[in-house]
Amino acid sequence: MSPVCQWVRSVLVAYLDGELKPSTADAVRRHLVRCEACRAQMRLLQESWRLLDDVPPVPVRSGFTQRMMARVVEEKELSAFAARLGSRRRRRSVLASVLGMAAGLAFGFAVYAWTGIVEKPASPVEWEVSRHVSFLEDVELLDEMAVIQAIDRLERDTDTAGNGA
Amino acid sequence: MAKAIAAVAASYEQAGRRGAAADYDVGLMLRFQEGDELAFQELVQRNHGRVVGLIYRFISDASEAEDLAQEVFLRIYRARKTYKPTAKFSTWMFRITANVSLNALRSRANRKDEVSIDQVTDFGDGSRAMPDPEAEMPDHDLRQAELQTKVREAIAELPEKQQVAVVLNKYEGMSYAEIAGTIGCSTMAVKSLLARARDNLKDSLLLYIRTGRGRQRVC
Repeated sequence: MSPVCQWVRSVLVAYLDGELKPSTADAVRRHLVRCEACRAQMRLLQESWRLLDDVPPVPVRSGFTQRMMARVVEEKELSAFAARLGSRRRRRSVLASVLGMAAGLAFGFAVYAWTGIVEKPASPVEWEVSRHVSFLEDVELLDEMAVIQAIDRLERDTDTAGNGA
Repeated sequence: MAKAIAAVAASYEQAGRRGAAADYDVGLMLRFQEGDELAFQELVQRNHGRVVGLIYRFISDASEAEDLAQEVFLRIYRARKTYKPTAKFSTWMFRITANVSLNALRSRANRKDEVSIDQVTDFGDGSRAMPDPEAEMPDHDLRQAELQTKVREAIAELPEKQQVAVVLNKYEGMSYAEIAGTIGCSTMAVKSLLARARDNLKDSLLLYIRTGRGRQRVC
């Protein structure tokens, strides 16, 4: 295919649709007079385009506008409902948050107060030790007494040894 | 009403589009924007035929086309607060229509339970019907039905933008500039789209052109 034919075919549709500048359209027209191949191509384009007319338009059912306006009313009602729901939900969530915090604080305070009133029972070991705590205090004294007694013995022995000497 | 039309005229003069100041639908949309619901009703009444018809070219199902047309007008309804008359009302309306149609086509493709267009033909009476090969149709009607199916198929097989350009050019009589405004591209791009689209259509329908099935034979 010659470059001129290539160019003409690239603008053939625009030519058929009347969308070319007058000078360009003239150039295409002059070429078509001389070139049977491009003329055949043009006829195929025209005929295939005309076939699209064979598809009939859809008949629109009557009452479309009434159905549409009914849908608009539904849309407005839905929007108003959504707006109300949104504000109601917001109020409920704020209220729930406040109540939750109050409940938490009350519970925490209750637990704190409860632990203050009731003495925690001692473990068995602690209980056994606590029975003898006074004795344990004496144990230290007893230890000291043992040391004191040992020192006394030592001094007596030393004195005895000195006297004997 | 006079105030609305004056506002439209002012906006178009500002944009250098004096002709569009006379766009009656823009005036209706501006009235609707100010709260006049009857103006919206009139917009629907004036334009629903074109919207349903355009969608039908993509969807080939009259009932679904009407549902989708309602979706188009709902989008127009919802956009009333942000609407600005920067172009003809029909340009904006058809842009929404093309988007809604293409979304529906994509959903159909994703559903994968679409009935092949080979099996379904819409005879334009609002119902879908399966053509019965045993039915006693006159030969000519059968050829016509087959041709219509084939043409719909050929359009449906085009890439999306080519489909939109073909449908707007053929069935709405839009110029290249108007199509460019609707689909948001340059006039040069539309020229290229239509050149490729019509070449593809020619190839798809070659058999019907050469054998003259359903049409007068081309010599």
